[in-house]
Amino acid sequence: MAGASMKRADIVVSLIIIPICLYVFYESGNWPKQALIGAPTLIPWGVAACLLVAAGVQLIRALTGRALMLEERLTGANRRRVIFAVLLTGGYAALVSYSGFLLTTFLYLALFSLAAGERRWIRLIAFAVAVPVAIYLIFATILNVPLPPGIFW
Amino acid sequence: MVDLVLLLKGFGTVLSGYNFIALVLGSFMGIIVGAIPGLTATMGIALLVPFTFGMSPITGIVMLLGIYTGGIYGGGIASILIKTPGTPAAVATTFDGYPMAQKGLAGKAIGMATVASGIGGTFTALCLTFFAPILANFALRFSAPEYFALAVFGLSVVVTLSGRSPLKGLISGGLGLLIAMVGLDPMGGFPRFTFGRIELTGGFSFVPMLIGLFALSEGFRQMETILTAPKVKAVLKDIIPNLRELVACGVTFVRSCLIGLIVGITPAIGAETSSLISYAEAKRTSKHPERFGTGILEGVAAPQCAENASTGGDMLPMLTLGIPGDAATAVLMGALTIHNLQPGPLLFRDHQELVHQIFGGMILANFMFVLLGLIFARFFARVINIDRRYLVPLIFIACMVGAYSINNVMYDLVTCVCFGFIGYLMMRYDYPVSPMVLAQILGAMMESNFRRSLVMSSGDPSILVTRPIALTILILAALATVTAIRRQRRASRVSAILESKS
Repeated sequence: MAGASMKRADIVVSLIIIPICLYVFYESGNWPKQALIGAPTLIPWGVAACLLVAAGVQLIRALTGRALMLEERLTGANRRRVIFAVLLTGGYAALVSYSGFLLTTFLYLALFSLAAGERRWIRLIAFAVAVPVAIYLIFATILNVPLPPGIFW
Repeated sequence: MVDLVLLLKGFGTVLSGYNFIALVLGSFMGIIVGAIPGLTATMGIALLVPFTFGMSPITGIVMLLGIYTGGIYGGGIASILIKTPGTPAAVATTFDGYPMAQKGLAGKAIGMATVASGIGGTFTALCLTFFAPILANFALRFSAPEYFALAVFGLSVVVTLSGRSPLKGLISGGLGLLIAMVGLDPMGGFPRFTFGRIELTGGFSFVPMLIGLFALSEGFRQMETILTAPKVKAVLKDIIPNLRELVACGVTFVRSCLIGLIVGITPAIGAETSSLISYAEAKRTSKHPERFGTGILEGVAAPQCAENASTGGDMLPMLTLGIPGDAATAVLMGALTIHNLQPGPLLFRDHQELVHQIFGGMILANFMFVLLGLIFARFFARVINIDRRYLVPLIFIACMVGAYSINNVMYDLVTCVCFGFIGYLMMRYDYPVSPMVLAQILGAMMESNFRRSLVMSSGDPSILVTRPIALTILILAALATVTAIRRQRRASRVSAILESKS
């Protein structure tokens, strides 16, 4: 797929960074300034100032049409798969403390395999069951690496 | 100077018991991780660091060294077989490796890649062994101003030499510096940018963040092409190179080893740069440069040798000064910290035996991947065909388990996922991830030593420029920045001229 300009991404990133830098100036202004702790605001101010300038330059470059080009645009099914993976992984992190490692991982792997196009049900279920059980046996029981417990399981 | 008795003892320790098993396993896993396109040595180390927590320090470190060296080497396998570099460092190997595979010489190419990588890696591992104690001894003279200057030098190189755009490198590095400031002030103890959350008083958990930035983000990227990964069809024959072929590449090995060492020592410039420079130099100095790109052994030997030669160079500043040479050594630093070992000259003073065990581990790791790479070449070639639909979710689960296992808190899982998403967006929109990670380490070093310098001098900043070693390093940092800016401007002028001509 043909490349596309990173103009929009560069503008968004610059607009996120600018208030972050302003917040750094604001919060660090309230820090204690004893000489014994060696000027705590100097480095944060220096970093925020450099970042502010860099974000400003990037914003101007993006608005004046000098943004770099993306090597490849992400569209269609590829894009949907990535979004699904991000949402599924976020959901895993949110749910695992409630439903525990075994159940959440089983559901995660089953849904993931379905989204990746696996339609051989026996293989899908076997994979979704075998992996969490194997990880539990190896890590929780043999290596004593604790896994996320859940309220339900 | 290196203690030869301790070094021999170090070899003995690494070759015994669990340490040897860890070395074999680490090298084996490292080659697999490197061979599969999209998975990197850095990712492999980041994923496995939490699992070394329960091991003894040397066992864990040896396993990670195996993954590091094996992973860098393994990238060449996919480069040769499917013209897709297994790791970014193996790009240059595709130039001659794939044409060799097309001529039915895939086995020969892989054999030469294996031996060349082993030669480069062993050379710089020996350099590390003999020069690191000298540098560490010299660094004992360093105080806060010198460490501040070193951090500034590292940052200036990290930020200006990463990625397509130095501006994006600067933004990535700046964000890394800000992230490093979250938590309690190192000298005053008051909270900074914590927004009242107790979880943030210790800052962002470093290892879960690394797992997110390097491993999880790559998993998200793999989703883009999960159904279209290329398959290996080549048959491997005549894998082990003969003596005549090795001697013919002798000069190439020497040149590539030196390039890898020098590039590796420079912070932020890693195996990718050394392999490309080595290939370019091999072509430039060859009697038959027109043969490069058609499938010749020298075209495989040069980049592979330099790639692994940079590993020893990257370890040198990390072990002796606490300045990581690249993202992989930044993660290795995290591993050392987990085992309560702080890289720097005091590590050499207080843990001599362990340091010599690390030297032994580094040297033996290079022998190990050569042995495994030659014996199991056909197996590693088939590993590339692993179904991504099973591999990618396994990576995600490994990330979750790894992130949770550090401190057993859900907050680390959340950190891992958030930084995984941020890392993916950064990769997508061309913001280099390495400066963010390296800046966190160097930023913390820079700030704490800057403030200690001010306390030492009762608030007088001239201490930073009146000490000769600190001043020299700061001048080098300024020169590095100016050189990078001029190079970027020259490159922009050249591309503007080429665009106007076309």
